[in-house]
Amino acid sequence: MAAAPAVNKIKNAKLVLLGDVGTGKSSLVLRFVKDQFVEFQESTIGAAFFSQTVVIDDTTVKFDIWDTAGQERYHSLAPMYYRGAAAAIVVYDITLQASFARAKKWVQELQAQGNANTIMALAGNKADLLDARQVEIEEAKKYAEENALFFMETSAKTAANVKDIFTELAKRLIEAQPAPNPSGMILVDRAENRSSNSKCCS
Amino acid sequence: MAANNTDRGTSSFDFDPGPVPAPSRPVDRFGFVKQDQSGSPDELAKCKSVAEQERDGRRIRKWRKMIGVDGSDWKHYVRRKPQVVKRRIRMGIPDCLRGLVWQLISGSRDLLLMNPGVYEQLVIYETSASEMDIIRDISRTFPSHIFFQQRHGLGQRSLYNVLKAYSVYDRDVGYVQGMGFVAGLLLLYMSEEDAFWLVVALLKGAVHAPMEGLYQVGLPLVQQYLFQFEHLVKEYMPQLGEHFSEEMINPSMYGSQWFITVFSYSFPFPLVLRIWDIFLYEGIKIVFQVGLALMRCCHDDLVKLPFEKLVPALRNFPKDTLNPNMLLPLAFSFKVSKHLDELQHEYEKRNKDPIHHEGSTSKSVDHKLLDKSVMKTQSHDIEKPTFTQEKKDQG
Ligand SMILES: Nc1nc2c(ncn2[C@@H]2O[C@H](COP(=O)(O)OP(=O)(O)OP(=O)(O)O)[C@@H](O)[C@H]2O)c(=O)[nH]1
Ligand SMILES: [Mg+2]
Repeated sequence: MAAAPAVNKIKNAKLVLLGDVGTGKSSLVLRFVKDQFVEFQESTIGAAFFSQTVVIDDTTVKFDIWDTAGQERYHSLAPMYYRGAAAAIVVYDITLQASFARAKKWVQELQAQGNANTIMALAGNKADLLDARQVEIEEAKKYAEENALFFMETSAKTAANVKDIFTELAKRLIEAQPAPNPSGMILVDRAENRSSNSKCCS
Repeated sequence: MAANNTDRGTSSFDFDPGPVPAPSRPVDRFGFVKQDQSGSPDELAKCKSVAEQERDGRRIRKWRKMIGVDGSDWKHYVRRKPQVVKRRIRMGIPDCLRGLVWQLISGSRDLLLMNPGVYEQLVIYETSASEMDIIRDISRTFPSHIFFQQRHGLGQRSLYNVLKAYSVYDRDVGYVQGMGFVAGLLLLYMSEEDAFWLVVALLKGAVHAPMEGLYQVGLPLVQQYLFQFEHLVKEYMPQLGEHFSEEMINPSMYGSQWFITVFSYSFPFPLVLRIWDIFLYEGIKIVFQVGLALMRCCHDDLVKLPFEKLVPALRNFPKDTLNPNMLLPLAFSFKVSKHLDELQHEYEKRNKDPIHHEGSTSKSVDHKLLDKSVMKTQSHDIEKPTFTQEKKDQG
């Protein structure tokens, strides 16, 4: 780890979770934000909002997290949440092949409609349910590579890889956009410009 | 076949409710498992003084008189004294009469009486494409309420039946997340058949404008309501409206679930019930009014907050603002009816180019059946619908 400069840099990043109903989007966020898991998580209506920070060396990445509703009928609300997002986690359930197909659709939609600079991760959630696995890890890995996605299998239940996936996204955000403030001034992006990536196209 | 409104189990499936499991954790008086809010006494759970109890008793007697035996005098009373009814409903329907009154004011009781056997048909004989979707969400609807906690228990089964029946009844709409909270709320106060017809009454518009657009593809009615709400905020609280624009707050970020579930999702139950009393009698207007009242309460804080603090603040209002006796009078002070009409026209004008709505006219038999019944409900030729005797069989 490099010697930390005295002044901490702050970077705001909008992050969106997309994926089929019941794949565990809310559970992943709950694990990340509060380190909790509930067996019966209420279904999300519309979308939910959370914030949480990750510290990487001298930079604090502050995530504004939109946890969207998974049902297809709510699709029309989604663009508002992924537009201008600096990062996206597309979630599927390893025990349901259909949820993987839906994840691919989300990836396509983000590639077509979203921000070209959005850093995308693919999460194969419920990795604790090995006996019920329907989506092979190799299959998902291959798809992720082809589409330049960062991929991990996660479990909101056991917490496996949950912190890691958010941390990795934070790292990539910093790499993609090194904090432009050598003077050490605190950097806080405003409102929608918070995903600093979107500055170029707004 | 009028259902017994005190019986929650008119399920057409044979079941044995078995012994009601003793809740392992304390529940509040509505049956929700208590969150550990140490030190915040539930004001409604406090023991009532003798004077309060007497007042409640008088209130219930007045209501009973107004309703008559199983609702027999209700229509007559409403026609004679609509203002009295409105005032009393705004003060809150006594909890022990709530289920019955909700069915009377929503028009669902009439639908039920005019469509005997239909619910059973839908539940038992029809299959729905949404069955798996519904099952997946069943244990995720009011998971903190004891009635819905037991796996395959009475609560979960009735919830499943109501949602499945509706998804068959209107196959265009099917099942949409959010409906479960509406149906779940109703099931706490009436049998599943009654709850089903109340959902029908709301979505198909037995008394007020139909609300099925909340759940149709593209969520057209949600979009309209949010448009209207955003403009109302600008009108009544220009400074806040301006702040929202600057911070790029879209009303969907806080308001979509208000409308989709009529506040039944993630608001304190005592407030939810009072809102529903008014909503069923006066219509969707109350949702706008409560939304405005919430904004007004927190106005001075909200205008100072940046985006990342503003969104959570709009989704978690301070507990003391959610007291119905404080919030509702403030809500009524917003006279929004005329504005809502104007804004609706404006919205329709803007959306002249028809993009969606492929599924709004249905050919299904069930629909026709309903359309007729709805018209009947509104006509005056059913002065005294015959209510089969009920209420006696409490076994
Ligand atoms: N075994 C296991 N169950 C999980 C895991 N993550 C979530 N679940 C369960 O899966 C169900 C759905 O989880 P949610 O987090 O609500 O799913 P969601 O993607 O937010 O669903 P919607 O809000 O309806 O779109 C819940 O009952 C969770 O307890 C996991 O990693 N392992
Ligand atoms: Mg969710």
